[in-house]
Amino acid sequence: MANLSTNFSQFLFEQCTNKEREWLEEKVKSNFLDLMTAFVAAPRFLSKKNISYDSKSRGSLIPELTSFEVNGWNLVRLARVWLLLHLPSEPKEQYIKNIETLFDTAELNELVALYSALPLLSYPTEWLPRATDAVRSNMGFVFDSIALQNPYPELYFPEPAWNQLVLKTIFNEKPIHRIYGINRRRNEDLSIAVFDFISERSAAGRNVPISVWMLISGFTLESMVPKLFLMFKSEIQTEKQAAALVCYESKEPKIRSLLTKYPDLELSIQNEDLDWSKLQSIPE
Amino acid sequence: MCQNPNNQTKNPSHFESIDATEESPTHRDLLWEDYQNLIKDMRFFDPHIHMVSRTTDDYQMMAKAGIVAIIEPAFWVGQPRTGLASFKDYYSSLVGWERFRSSQFGIKHYCTMGLNSREANNERLAEEVMEILPLFAYKEGVVGIGEIGFDDQTALEEKYYRLQLDLAKKTNLPVQIHTPHRDKKRGTERSMSIALEHGLDPSFVVVDHNNEETVKSVLDQGFWAAFTIYPFTKMGNERMVAVVEKYGPERIMINSSADWGISDPLAIPKTAALMKQRGIPLDVIRKVTYQNAIDAFAKSGQIDVADFETESKPDPSAKFHGNSILRGGQQPVMNKNSLLIQ
Ligand SMILES: [Zn+2]
Repeated sequence: MANLSTNFSQFLFEQCTNKEREWLEEKVKSNFLDLMTAFVAAPRFLSKKNISYDSKSRGSLIPELTSFEVNGWNLVRLARVWLLLHLPSEPKEQYIKNIETLFDTAELNELVALYSALPLLSYPTEWLPRATDAVRSNMGFVFDSIALQNPYPELYFPEPAWNQLVLKTIFNEKPIHRIYGINRRRNEDLSIAVFDFISERSAAGRNVPISVWMLISGFTLESMVPKLFLMFKSEIQTEKQAAALVCYESKEPKIRSLLTKYPDLELSIQNEDLDWSKLQSIPE
Repeated sequence: MCQNPNNQTKNPSHFESIDATEESPTHRDLLWEDYQNLIKDMRFFDPHIHMVSRTTDDYQMMAKAGIVAIIEPAFWVGQPRTGLASFKDYYSSLVGWERFRSSQFGIKHYCTMGLNSREANNERLAEEVMEILPLFAYKEGVVGIGEIGFDDQTALEEKYYRLQLDLAKKTNLPVQIHTPHRDKKRGTERSMSIALEHGLDPSFVVVDHNNEETVKSVLDQGFWAAFTIYPFTKMGNERMVAVVEKYGPERIMINSSADWGISDPLAIPKTAALMKQRGIPLDVIRKVTYQNAIDAFAKSGQIDVADFETESKPDPSAKFHGNSILRGGQQPVMNKNSLLIQ
């Protein structure tokens, strides 16, 4: 059995009716085939209501993995993850085969549950190919289940895969601040790719959310100066603010010095009135 | 497949009867454009269509014609599958990609799951398929076991038909029966009597591809009678109108069975227009083109009419979650009459 805490079970049962709880408890007593069928059949026996998730339960379901959160989930998704955690993890080959079978035969909501469970499954690195596949998915919910509020990518993705995930999140116009570790895993390659993407978009007359400039910050190149210069000249206040933050965090003297012409912006950054969180109001 | 529409000797997907030739298609051109007004604001449910073989253009036309929900039965893809993985991928596409693609056009997609009669004759593969079928039968949005039944009426077909009736009972799902093209009358009777022998409630069983010869017995025994409007073959929509005039709307439903053959995904709206023109009352049309299919398959517990009846019709930005069949920034509906492709 993988990462199952008593907190998780308790939290799940609080969301259930007695009948639903009985069904769940009975299913985890059975063999792995019945468990897998229960994973599939869950919506026939459980309600799809959204679970009630308050600050009390935030980060406490899996004490060893506080970034594992379930807000916005419905009961079926929660129960499916819980059922998966009851699959016997030994022998390893059998366990992997069972999880792979569920992936191979899954419909959309099942995929969402499977990807949500990845950071809790045994042998976490075995699921890397699946997880990077999900990033390539054309189905929005599937993509979201790996990219947003899932600790797995930050913990296990190698840098190229991580960068793809972030780029695709931007490309799909999803909120990048909901990617776990987005700040911690900033890197130079990503910064260059994001800057290229922004330039490509501007050439086509299209915009990207202003918050993506955060990913460039800290890895600035001199070639970015003209673009930053334009942003300072912009009518739009948030563009000026983003440019100011990029310059403030830059190690390039030339870029850093651009900010000296805008002392009011510099001051508000120093006073902590302006930071990246102010620019994250992306509609979801 | 027949390349020449005037050569009607074969249309092998749903109706490959050789006596199809006895009926000449009539080339009176009633233009669909002239009739669309008759069905304005009507809503249709196609309980049998193989979208996996259809294009995105079809989805656009179907949505425009008022089709709000469909059922895609698992069936023959035109050539035999050689391994279990092909079945897995096919079943997964019915509950995955195809369901999603359909949703992009505001059409709710359900499916039925089953091992089709032709491929039941490959016993080794059939055994393997039966093992994974329960994983698919219990899935969300799976509204029945289907389409199952007879093709050549072999012993193996019967074996897997019976096993799947048992699965339907176990999962408490309706059954969608494909009746054979050859020796149809006897095949239909045999399918029904085996279903009864297995203790199925006939109100849980939809017998498909009926004609004038089979309909009475199907209705008399309490089953649902579905009719497939498929061009150049058994059932044209003028004859369908006559069937409805004769038998009324109870337990009768119409479908297109559109697939990779020469078929018409607009068969239901077109038939509805014809019925309207022939003076069939609106409530009768509604039953045979919409409500009866819902009533029959809702016994699965998997149909929530709010999913397609509530008028939340496309606010594309809200509905089409960033990622889709739509490449960055594309809109779901494009003007096909425009020369400019933007
Ligand atoms: Zn069919």
